[in-house]
Amino acid sequence: MRLPKFSCVKVASVEEASRLLAQPDVETCLSAGGTELLPRMKYGLSRPQKLISLKGVAAEAPVLGEDGSIQLHALMTLSAVAASHLVQENAPVLAAAAAAVGSNEIRNMATLGGNLCQDSRCLYYNQPHDFQFTAPCFKRGGDQCYFIPAGKKCRAVFMADTAPALISLGANVYVVGPVGSGSIPLEKLYSNDPLRPVTLASGEILSRIIIPARPMQRVEAFAKFSWRPGFEFSAVSVAVVLDLDEDRQTCRSARLSVGSIAAGPLRPLKAEAVLAGGRLSDKVITAAADQAAAEIHPVPHHGYSRVYLTECLRAQVRRVLHSAIGPLAKT
Amino acid sequence: MVEYTGKRLIQLNINGEQFSLAVEPQETLLEVLRNQLGLTGTKDGCGTGECGACTVLMDGKPQLACLLLAIDCQQVKITTIEGLSTGRQLTSVQEAFLEEGAVQCGFCTPGMVLATSALLTENSRPSEKEIKKALEGHLCRCTGYNKIISAVQQASAKMTRNVT
Repeated sequence: MRLPKFSCVKVASVEEASRLLAQPDVETCLSAGGTELLPRMKYGLSRPQKLISLKGVAAEAPVLGEDGSIQLHALMTLSAVAASHLVQENAPVLAAAAAAVGSNEIRNMATLGGNLCQDSRCLYYNQPHDFQFTAPCFKRGGDQCYFIPAGKKCRAVFMADTAPALISLGANVYVVGPVGSGSIPLEKLYSNDPLRPVTLASGEILSRIIIPARPMQRVEAFAKFSWRPGFEFSAVSVAVVLDLDEDRQTCRSARLSVGSIAAGPLRPLKAEAVLAGGRLSDKVITAAADQAAAEIHPVPHHGYSRVYLTECLRAQVRRVLHSAIGPLAKT
Repeated sequence: MVEYTGKRLIQLNINGEQFSLAVEPQETLLEVLRNQLGLTGTKDGCGTGECGACTVLMDGKPQLACLLLAIDCQQVKITTIEGLSTGRQLTSVQEAFLEEGAVQCGFCTPGMVLATSALLTENSRPSEKEIKKALEGHLCRCTGYNKIISAVQQASAKMTRNVT
């Protein structure tokens, strides 16, 4: 499969890329790892005349701030994130999520920022459109849905694995833009709109990810379910971060985040409330899993039905909570 | 800032040799390897990063040649399957694949062998779980994967024997 013709500008910094993106003389696209953009271009879903490539920009090493927060450069590869001792010690849920993305080869190329800014996906959209599904669907600017033929809206799903992990950590992202820069909570980056899942304006680039300091009594875990790990995106992915009391038995607060289930990562807030303030018994974990399955209505995708995904979600929430509190049994 | 428009001369270091090649910005490393250099060991499978057939080593790390623009590969040492053996002397990994019957049609083999070589360089005694994790993303439609896993285990045993 060949790429269409384009010109390519290799920039030396994120700021320079932002300036170029903000003054487009032709249709431009930003490229970091390229593992999502290049297939999209081969399928004809993105047709930039000019590529702004960040391949020449070196990713800075993660930095541990004086306040205990961690700063990650958005151009770090997912392999580097998964292998970083700093991330493994201070945010193991993110290391696990980064290690769960794609295959080893993909992780050696794809970047953390690229994963967070991924477009939403659909079985009927992410493929060539030259012999079937040729009339444009909602996501390609048309007015129909191939997945649900009588559907009135797009059903594409946001499937990045690192987003739920970072949302459960309460991470912020630093965005560089033509009219100024600043940090926003990562949750605010996602619109839950399948047509434009990431809310970055023209010229804005996500340049850093800031993870707040880790309290002493914190446990966390990540689970991804997919029938063919390494080849397929998640059917559902779940991340949890629990802040515990000094006794390490009582949950002070919980943050759960679920991916690959809607047009953006979702937090089952009522399930979080079930966990907060009580002892983490089997009964509480089961109740939290049931609550998460009751309050989130998964968008069926890639051959998984809504009923199946609901049961997957229930099982994964239980699994992730058990694996988070697993270390407690030993302490 | 460097702009690439139309054909341009680039330098690539492939299997220890320097090449000067005229490439377009949209040409992938896979196209350059196969069409310009005749290095057809790197296979053109899916073209979208799903099958692992086009795996090459970039500074020793496995990456997918179908998703790399040739213009982005100028500062790295590229190793393809043709650059693994020295003359007619196969590496332990290649020998193990032959002896174990881990090769049938051979289309996935270059990617599998390169990914295995990278794995054993980093971790000379991988567990079965680690082998599966390293070879995730390499589709094989013939062998059923079991022979490939035993080939990796055999290569690992051979290499560690040679060292001790």
